[in-house]
Amino acid sequence: MTSSSDRQAGFLAGYRVLDLTDARGLLAGQMFARMGADVIQVEPPQGSAARRTGPFADDAAAPDNSLFWSAYAAGKRGVTIDLAQPAGREQLARLAASADFLIESSDPGFPAGAIDLEALRRANPALITVSVTAFGEDGPKADWAATDLTLWAAGGALFPARDGPSPPLSPCLPQAWIHAAADAACGAMMAHFARKRTGRGQHVSVTAVTSSAMATLAYILHEPVGHPAFLDSLGTGPRARKQTLDLSGSGSRSRRNKWRLDDGYLEMNLAMGPAAGHFTNKLMQWMREDGALSPEFHDWDWVSLPARIMAEEIEGPQIERLRTEVAAFLAGKTKAEMLAQAVAKKLLLAPVMTVAEVMEQPHFRDRDNFQTVSEGGRQRMIVGSFAKNIPSVRLGGAPGLGAHNAEILGARPPIEEVA
Amino acid sequence: MTKPLAGLKVLEFAWSVAGPVVGRALADYGATVVRVESGKRPDVTRLMGPFPDGKIDKDRSALFEDYNLGKLCIALDMGNPAAREVIKDLVAWADVVSESFSPGQMERWGLGYEALKAINPGIILLSNSLLGQHGPLSKIAGYGNLGAALASVHSTVGQAGSPPVGPFGSYTDYTAPRFGLFSVLAALDHRDQTGEGAWIDLGQSETAFQFFAPLFAEQAATGRTTTPQGNRSPEMAPHGVFRAAGQDSWVAIAARDDADWTRLAAEIGGPLTDPRLSHLAGRKAAEDEIEAAIGAWTQAQPAEQVEARLQQRRVPAHVVAGSAEMASDPQLAHLGYFIEVERLSGGKTTVEASRFMLSETPFDPAEVAPPPLIGSDSRTIMCDFLGYDDRRIDDLVAQAAIC
Repeated sequence: MTSSSDRQAGFLAGYRVLDLTDARGLLAGQMFARMGADVIQVEPPQGSAARRTGPFADDAAAPDNSLFWSAYAAGKRGVTIDLAQPAGREQLARLAASADFLIESSDPGFPAGAIDLEALRRANPALITVSVTAFGEDGPKADWAATDLTLWAAGGALFPARDGPSPPLSPCLPQAWIHAAADAACGAMMAHFARKRTGRGQHVSVTAVTSSAMATLAYILHEPVGHPAFLDSLGTGPRARKQTLDLSGSGSRSRRNKWRLDDGYLEMNLAMGPAAGHFTNKLMQWMREDGALSPEFHDWDWVSLPARIMAEEIEGPQIERLRTEVAAFLAGKTKAEMLAQAVAKKLLLAPVMTVAEVMEQPHFRDRDNFQTVSEGGRQRMIVGSFAKNIPSVRLGGAPGLGAHNAEILGARPPIEEVA
Repeated sequence: MTKPLAGLKVLEFAWSVAGPVVGRALADYGATVVRVESGKRPDVTRLMGPFPDGKIDKDRSALFEDYNLGKLCIALDMGNPAAREVIKDLVAWADVVSESFSPGQMERWGLGYEALKAINPGIILLSNSLLGQHGPLSKIAGYGNLGAALASVHSTVGQAGSPPVGPFGSYTDYTAPRFGLFSVLAALDHRDQTGEGAWIDLGQSETAFQFFAPLFAEQAATGRTTTPQGNRSPEMAPHGVFRAAGQDSWVAIAARDDADWTRLAAEIGGPLTDPRLSHLAGRKAAEDEIEAAIGAWTQAQPAEQVEARLQQRRVPAHVVAGSAEMASDPQLAHLGYFIEVERLSGGKTTVEASRFMLSETPFDPAEVAPPPLIGSDSRTIMCDFLGYDDRRIDDLVAQAAIC
């Protein structure tokens, strides 16, 4: 047997997952692998489209250079099956007969209709099948052309992510399908609890559009519940007022929460109100001690500030003057200094870390968030377990194309076994 | 059909978003979820909205309602020792405890994992924090926007060469509940087989690493640190968001491959039909000009028309939907994504449906309780779940433990 992962550990040891997804669903199977399940990545003979998804490494040629594949196929065993052939469909059926879960995302590398989920469930009534789709398995947009970006747009996550009048902005690593993949794993487990009662599997469907809607903080409900210009009131819409009554503590604004430091940026909302106003009081206290705060702001209590703003005792220009003082105070500070002060003074702020800085941060390293694996002899870095303090599997590197065909599909052509 | 989680008992101290979203999903599928809240310190999402008519009202926040549908609520002042005795009885009652206090706070109240385990050996404790329970930075307080900054998520959104903008809201609140829910369900399955409980340490920031894992692999393999490039993609051109006619109206357009491009260029015409653009490399070299030409075309017509014309030609395009566009979206209506539910303070409100659809045991909004008000179920919980008599309950009220 392979040692692509130590499957003895983990809460889901003993379950088998068939993963037929491409780049649009790989994370779901990997979540099972982290918990100890035996996850078999099924690819078409030419290889998963995810092997041609960036970012790419420089130390190998296509299709062995996809770091997307490295990141999300790690921990799985890999087989290739030609679903255009009856023998291949038989191979899939045999695997499905002993599987607990099957996850698919209509990989166009597989021939249309070759994955007959209903037939697989008829043959194995305990099987849970999961489909990850763009808009849904049916409905008016089911067949719409889509990319991650257009789905992020459809799900409401894109619209409010912006800086003033510029176009809404999306993360540089597309996110819609990853949200859907994570929901696919959760939905599969929910169906598993139904199966524990009845012994029967069922079908689970998730969509990239509705999964993206998780990334909206429910602002998308403002029209149905009748809150006009809600995003403007948060300060993120095109007609946003500069000063708003944001009582959240987190702030939903994006660019306006970024402050320039000596070596980068700081994320900080000048929170006010009962939930988080006391954090801003502590920042003001620090500024005062350093002689960086004008007397006119000394008596501001940020917990009760909303009432004074509503009473128009405090108005926009004053807040802007205060922001100018905060900006001047922060401009000479470094990320490391602010991080240390956030801990020491219990401030509500954080430096905007780069990927490189995260990987060097002792806190994240100490917590085993990054591990090096071998993938076909090349070293690849994958992230560690998503939850700590529970048994979790150290994943092996992503499988090469058909790496486990012999051990999983058997050396003999399956057609002979059937005959 | 019996719901998947019928009989499961969940005690939720979690607040804001990441923890409550887990409880909402458990309630959707049949769990009994008891939220502990205090009138002294309402959940922050009760103050955030959106609200009907834009009026701040802690009993009518759609954000709170969305993430707390189907739960019951007991109002307890955690600072009151008598309240903590009630908590201990609820721990004995529960299968799962979900909390999102600062690391160490539960221990200070005498409610750390070891204490909970002494009360209920099989208890599953989900601790949701910004940076995990242990480690040099674990004491940092904060919301998901800070978690996202610390996890480098903010560094992935912005215009090329400009300060980072970051995604909307508190991104690690979006990533964490997926892993919280999955971990709890896996732990419950393990407990069914072994009787063992678990303490799940979920650091919100760390869950975001899962959603951006390829960027860490890229950093390690190539030494290149990701920087945002607006909406551009190394693998597609065009790949952008374009202004349409009308106020604040945008449409997202991408060509997945050369065939998409050919159809897109045929629809728009003009200089885009230049054969030098028929391959990705040619389009990447001329991306500024391509975006300008597409933008000139889109801004002369409504976003819906752009979307329809390009979808007609099987080119990925979608209106950049806000709340109004989503509320009237035929596909979301087909999926039944926005659902009306009763509001305890009167009338109806709208929340999102479950994000996973189960064929045999579907989420049914008609079978779940309305979003709770603070303490709306205090008496029911103490009487029916804990077996307290009226006198004991009245005592607790008199001691201000219930408030």
